[in-house]
Amino acid sequence: MTAPTGWIPVALSSEIEAGASAGAVVDGREVVVWRDTSGVAHAWEDRCPHRGMRMSFGFVRGDHIACLYHGWQYDTAGQCRYIPAHPDLDVPQTIKVPTYATKEANGIIWSTLSDAVADEATPGETAEVTPLRSLYVDCPAAFIRETLESASMPGFTEPEGETIFAAVADSVWTLTTGEDRLYIGVQPVNPSQTALHVVIAGPQATYAGAGQAHFSTWLETLRRSLEDGAPEEATSAPMTTAEVA
Amino acid sequence: MSAIMLYDYELDEHCYRVRLLLTMLGLEWEPHAIDMVPGEEEKQPHMLALNPLGRLPVLKDGDLVLHGTEALLTYIAKTYDGAKTWLPDDNADFGRVMMWLNFSCSVLGAASQARLQSLFGTTGVDAPLKEASRNAFRIMDDHMTKRGYENGLWFVGDHVTLADLALFPAFALSRDYGVDHDEFPALRRWIRRFRNLEKFTTMPGIPDYH
Repeated sequence: MTAPTGWIPVALSSEIEAGASAGAVVDGREVVVWRDTSGVAHAWEDRCPHRGMRMSFGFVRGDHIACLYHGWQYDTAGQCRYIPAHPDLDVPQTIKVPTYATKEANGIIWSTLSDAVADEATPGETAEVTPLRSLYVDCPAAFIRETLESASMPGFTEPEGETIFAAVADSVWTLTTGEDRLYIGVQPVNPSQTALHVVIAGPQATYAGAGQAHFSTWLETLRRSLEDGAPEEATSAPMTTAEVA
Repeated sequence: MSAIMLYDYELDEHCYRVRLLLTMLGLEWEPHAIDMVPGEEEKQPHMLALNPLGRLPVLKDGDLVLHGTEALLTYIAKTYDGAKTWLPDDNADFGRVMMWLNFSCSVLGAASQARLQSLFGTTGVDAPLKEASRNAFRIMDDHMTKRGYENGLWFVGDHVTLADLALFPAFALSRDYGVDHDEFPALRRWIRRFRNLEKFTTMPGIPDYH
């Protein structure tokens, strides 16, 4: 599997509230996704330079995120600003967490996992979205894609109808039945696990409540059948470097 | 006459559930520290006289002696929560709360065992226990995801209940035995909400954000 490039989805926007942080893993790389209290989302390397603690275990205070271990605080540029054990210290510029280019589009938080902004736009921009959910599946992305290519998803506005799968990009798939369309951001976690960040491409007036429950239930069923049918190697632990060699 | 007495071990998540409820209700109680690790005091004759199962927590309220976390929680709520917040009066909501209490003391037992292995064992956590805990959290996350679609903030009804209180520790402590929170976005939002409740109190392993 090649490492994804361009904009990678790391969370649903609605899942990261202001002042909250969460961990995400993209191809084995640990990322902290957090939102400052002014509402701006950030994605960084999930590692405090002090003792290597995951920043996603920490907590957000205003526009700073603080490490759980010793409370070192970093500003939105990843620069350490405050060390509680040395309150009067002017913190050296070298104490910095690598930050990644981050943006929000289609109800999803995206990152390039580098400081470079991707050239291309987020694939398949859609006007109105209704958040659905993130679905974590113990299957490789390729196997999920294969299954979705022939999946039949009952519609909400019209139950009957053919389901059409489209891969807008490596990291974006859509599933359409009649008027209803799911927009799926694909985050490969490791060779055997994938996160799907799913929104409904349509107005909340139509889908909020019953429509969301309809597709969420279908996704739960999908996860069950994917994991039951996953190829043998897909359900085992990720391969180590030694096994690959 | 006497205050409520809780036979307690600070690091035990079941004892924490009871301390949490007593604190949230603003009740006075007398903690009686039991040396569970390494002393196994809960299995000594004087404790077996109170609970023949040799487990904590044990509650004494006057002449009444109770064991079994869910029994303690429901007794305390029924006796001391006049507002009937924690154990709702409504029949359907009462049933739902009891369903999640049952979930907490059956399915989530795997999580509590995994944590004990991780903290006090020498051979690490058994993979099946970890897997069973993860499956339980998935069921909880699916439930809270759907609750979100109907603007529900809590496991049952329109306010916090014993269901939330009983389920909270296992998930909040899951990093103790290597189950991350990444995969459970609805539970992450729910524990943030729970932590922000007035009178919320922590235990070792649940950080007190400073």
